[in-house]
Amino acid sequence: MKKQKIIAIYGKGGIGKSSTASNVAAACAEAGKKVMIIGCDPKSDSSITLLGGKRIPTILDLLREGIEVTEEDMVFEGYAGVKCIEAGGPEPGIGCAGRGIIVAVQKLKSVSAELIKEQDLIIYDVPGDIVCGGFVAPIRKGYVNEAYVLTSGEYMPLYAANNICKGLTKINMPLSGVICNSRNASREEEIVTKFSEEIGSQLMAFIPKSQIVQDCERNGYSVMEKAPDSDIADVYRRLGKAIMENEKKVMADSLTDERLREMTK
Amino acid sequence: MTGKEISIIHPRPSSIVAALYTLRDLNVDVAILHGPPGCSFKHARLLEEDGIHVVTTALDENGFVFGGHDKLVQLINKSVELFSPKIIGVVGTCASMIIGEEMHEAVLEANPDVPVIEVEVHAGYHNNTKGVIFALESALDAGIIDRKEFERQEYLLAKATEVEKKFGAASREYLAPSRGDIKYTVAKRVIELLKEGKRGITIMNAKKETGYMFADITLAVNEVAASLGKKDSIVNMANLDENVGLPRVRKHAEYIMRDLKAHGIEIHEIIGGMDEYPIAGEKVSELIKEKYSDYDFAVITGVPHAIPMENIEGMELISVTNGPRQVLPLKEIGHEYVLVEIDLHPKTLGVSNIVESEFGATLREIAKETRKEA
Repeated sequence: MKKQKIIAIYGKGGIGKSSTASNVAAACAEAGKKVMIIGCDPKSDSSITLLGGKRIPTILDLLREGIEVTEEDMVFEGYAGVKCIEAGGPEPGIGCAGRGIIVAVQKLKSVSAELIKEQDLIIYDVPGDIVCGGFVAPIRKGYVNEAYVLTSGEYMPLYAANNICKGLTKINMPLSGVICNSRNASREEEIVTKFSEEIGSQLMAFIPKSQIVQDCERNGYSVMEKAPDSDIADVYRRLGKAIMENEKKVMADSLTDERLREMTK
Repeated sequence: MTGKEISIIHPRPSSIVAALYTLRDLNVDVAILHGPPGCSFKHARLLEEDGIHVVTTALDENGFVFGGHDKLVQLINKSVELFSPKIIGVVGTCASMIIGEEMHEAVLEANPDVPVIEVEVHAGYHNNTKGVIFALESALDAGIIDRKEFERQEYLLAKATEVEKKFGAASREYLAPSRGDIKYTVAKRVIELLKEGKRGITIMNAKKETGYMFADITLAVNEVAASLGKKDSIVNMANLDENVGLPRVRKHAEYIMRDLKAHGIEIHEIIGGMDEYPIAGEKVSELIKEKYSDYDFAVITGVPHAIPMENIEGMELISVTNGPRQVLPLKEIGHEYVLVEIDLHPKTLGVSNIVESEFGATLREIAKETRKEA
């Protein structure tokens, strides 16, 4: 049976999860892997930079219209053949986005079971704030086999990362690694490396803050597509390779708040 | 500080259902359940038999994810068109409350030309009387009841909860349902007691419409006593005060009293209104202490566990309930016989006359045989 990587990237809202997910997806696809990205944020923007800035219909939009959803309706091919899917969700403040994720992912699994099986790497881009059970459904329902946490070296993103580690351990999900998306804070790599070690995990990559990433995103593209020769593109390639080769999984030991404070001073 | 709630694992009616019954008592014409299609189905159907229309927004997966505001607005409008109601009730469910539906906005948008009682309720309350309180609060806000009646109801509900926790279906973690003693055996015993010249009291302490059937037991005991020439051996008590309670509840008292009178039955002691079953026990206790302490037996129907044991301990106690989970607690507090009128509630909805009970019918039949033998 084919060994599949089905990963979820967690982290504080706005820390760069969608950007990292789409660039890693593009990097692995360029390297010849079959890759799928499933956006689980109601904002539906996980795959936008793989589709030239275009938005695609979401699974929930289709379900709301009451039509019999087919694979062609919900799976769109993006840069380097990455299969792009957006779960979608209700308008802010209405209905239940968490239930929406569950319904959308179940629909995808029932309609596109074969396509899912063919993939080497599936990335679930999950919302930053896990406010109810639906937001951890990809893990709880056993769809995901590896979880990563994205953080910068600042206190608040680390605090969120630490809480996520606590939550993952609570639901018996091991952590496969920590990714640092730099915000140019002082001693950032050192702090996140230390954090990764102390929780028993590993730092997968240090992604330096780069204007290139933001410029590409503004134009609706991934770095891999618009700046393939840049240093930052190589960082994503290395991260993609590291994820594909990673075997390490640990039940994370979350830190005390005092220890986090001390670490980020 | 209140004690920790015990976790009750046997099924009990929910707060949503309690709210629906309260809307019925408030003479609401149509109750709109805002939730999934099957929610509270069994009771909703029963309520339809009692003359209230019950409809549902039938929320599906899309409704859970995207909310059901538009569906609720449409259903309010459709209900007005279909039923021309004078009062509408809108009742929440677990699904609509968990996703944070704002029912008031839908009511404002539909803007029907009649009062709307909005009940934001789900089934996750330990005490299902919460559903009643929410419905009454909303009725108070809508001007359908006054503060005095609201406070009276609130007091009665607190007492009802107390009774259920002490001796009722909420008294322990698990209570197995039971059909109680054999009606034939107990009916023979009542007849035996009457034949021996023992004096008895019938105490009907019924919850609202259930009185239509429990009154039949009062009737049957009196008929049988009369047929044995022991009419004067029986004293009747009943919570049939026609002057208290919500309009519908007063009507029940009036109709039952009318039927009893038509059969020549005198209620010697009125122990309260038909919603006063949680507190009528105290009155019964006082009356027995003052006037009937030397009586030999009591046939207690309705909510027998609300009658304090203090002054009836010396009597032979025969209880009739419609709660299969009430048998064990009643036996434990000392009632010799406990009978269950199975499916009493469905038979007492939508009626305005006394309905025959199984125990009443058994008593009559055995009395007939006894007379033949004699």
